[in-house]
Amino acid sequence: MTSTKDVAAMPAGNTPPASPRVPTLRARRRRKGFGDSVLPYLLLAPGVLAIGALLIWPTVQLVMISFRKLDLRELVTGQLVWVGVSNYGDVLGDPEFWEVTVRTLVFMGAVVAATIVVALFIALLMKQLNPVVRVLLQVTLVVAWATPAVAATTVFQWIFDQQYGILNKTLALLGFDGFIGHSWFSDGPSTLTVIGLLITWQAVPFVAFSLYAGLIGVPREQYEAAGIDGAGPWQTFRAVSWPAIQPILTIVTFLSVIWDFRVFTQVWAIKQGGPDGESTTLPIYMYLKGIAGSHFGPAAAIAMLMLLVLVILLARYIQLLLRSKEVDLK
Amino acid sequence: MRKSLPQRIALNTVGVVGALLFGFPTYWLITTSFKTPGEVLSPRYDLIPFSITFENFTSALSKPGFTTFLTNSLIVTLGAVLTALVAGVLAAFPLARMRFRGRKGFLFLVLVAQLAPIEALLIPLYLLMRDAGLLNQLPSLLLVYMALTLPFTCWMLYGFVKGIPIELEEAAMIDGCGRWQAFRRVTLPLLGPGLVATSVFSFITAWNEFLFALVLMQDQGKRTIPVWLSTFREAFLVDWGGIMAASVIYAVPALIFFLIVQRKLVSGLTAGAVKG
Repeated sequence: MTSTKDVAAMPAGNTPPASPRVPTLRARRRRKGFGDSVLPYLLLAPGVLAIGALLIWPTVQLVMISFRKLDLRELVTGQLVWVGVSNYGDVLGDPEFWEVTVRTLVFMGAVVAATIVVALFIALLMKQLNPVVRVLLQVTLVVAWATPAVAATTVFQWIFDQQYGILNKTLALLGFDGFIGHSWFSDGPSTLTVIGLLITWQAVPFVAFSLYAGLIGVPREQYEAAGIDGAGPWQTFRAVSWPAIQPILTIVTFLSVIWDFRVFTQVWAIKQGGPDGESTTLPIYMYLKGIAGSHFGPAAAIAMLMLLVLVILLARYIQLLLRSKEVDLK
Repeated sequence: MRKSLPQRIALNTVGVVGALLFGFPTYWLITTSFKTPGEVLSPRYDLIPFSITFENFTSALSKPGFTTFLTNSLIVTLGAVLTALVAGVLAAFPLARMRFRGRKGFLFLVLVAQLAPIEALLIPLYLLMRDAGLLNQLPSLLLVYMALTLPFTCWMLYGFVKGIPIELEEAAMIDGCGRWQAFRRVTLPLLGPGLVATSVFSFITAWNEFLFALVLMQDQGKRTIPVWLSTFREAFLVDWGGIMAASVIYAVPALIFFLIVQRKLVSGLTAGAVKG
């Protein structure tokens, strides 16, 4: 606070220091008034405009569209047809919606669980490794993280290719002849497993590095003290490592849930929700209803329902974030 | 907690196996792109490539439209990065240096916006762009990408400006600089690394974006690289070498940029989190 006042009290602009006292004071007062009351808003204007026009206004629109009947006909004629909550009724009354929702939740739960377990294992492992092996592991993790999602989907499709894929070749070599010509994308669960593997592969590095950062923050003495007190590996983990990583673990779990709940790219790029809609998740469902099917009303209702779940998660997450002092609005 | 030798050997073996598993898809992506088409589709078991060819890269580059898609991607990505950066710097300065009503509110808005699922806004943004006559026009995608990266850009730059001691600016002002001059001559140069890191993050986000590119650019000639690549069977059939080469060309800028800012990504994780 004080520093800001000091800055404002200083002669602003190119006011010559030798100028008479009174005019300087007057100029200063005017400048201070202008600078401190209008300038911040002026500088924020482009950002506020962009966020307002491209994020807030569309959110308002989304709410309104979810209460409208908006198909191709209404879109062309520009008619406003309000239908109350009937879009929500239609969506919630559709068994397909529930099937897709359950599938999305199971898929998300599995991917998040796999990500957290593997990442925790890798973070703990990294602490024990020889420096050369550790750097090797870290480099491969960073590369997995950095590969763009669509490039990752093309290489996964190639690895899992029915005829020439290296996975089927390897399985055949190991004596599993049943996998010669096996198609991994012929049914929903198998397709979603491959997609889940792909997402996990790219999600683990961020989580593992975050947890590892927490682990190496623990002073060495604490481990030594635990050793002197005769603690076994499990007890040491419970008493020393766990308190250090538990807050980070909560935060990355939230982030993973938020990210994996809304994932579109990988699911779409692998099989467009197929075969027969068996790998369709909620974002794909919304796309198919709204953009491909031109039923914008129900699609907006689906988006609203997704948003509702995410807002609850986000509210809790931001609360955690603000409490963790990692983020400070001061 | 000293481990015995066999324990250490076992742990390091697990570490190496983990590294091989995590490195394999990218290794396979790159090696396949250098294999001859005959080798790619041979029944032979070939984990290690026997020869190197650039044939796949020339075939990928000569696919109809490839350079157009690459240019489209570059225009929308760089355009979004630049506009978000300008708006972000302008916003970061008052947020970090001035007290005014609404400041906390804006910061909170930015924090929420950067985590908010923009996918949920697909329908209204599609309709808005349609009404504005911007469907199949690169500016629409540029605007969406700017909105996608702006909250995060503001947040990061706010943090960077806050990290530069205000005393430096004050010293410059005592020496006769105006506030703007002090900012331009002292803070802005010190902000350099922060600007680089922020633009690289935005670049990766926009470069990887798929859903809006798919929906807003349905015209063949207006596609971006990731959307085109996701429909590779149209252009490549079973030319896996060509697909991998095109994927490598697409992945290289993101990979390089990612390696530059990798350390910052890990350390500044939760608030400025981006998913690679």
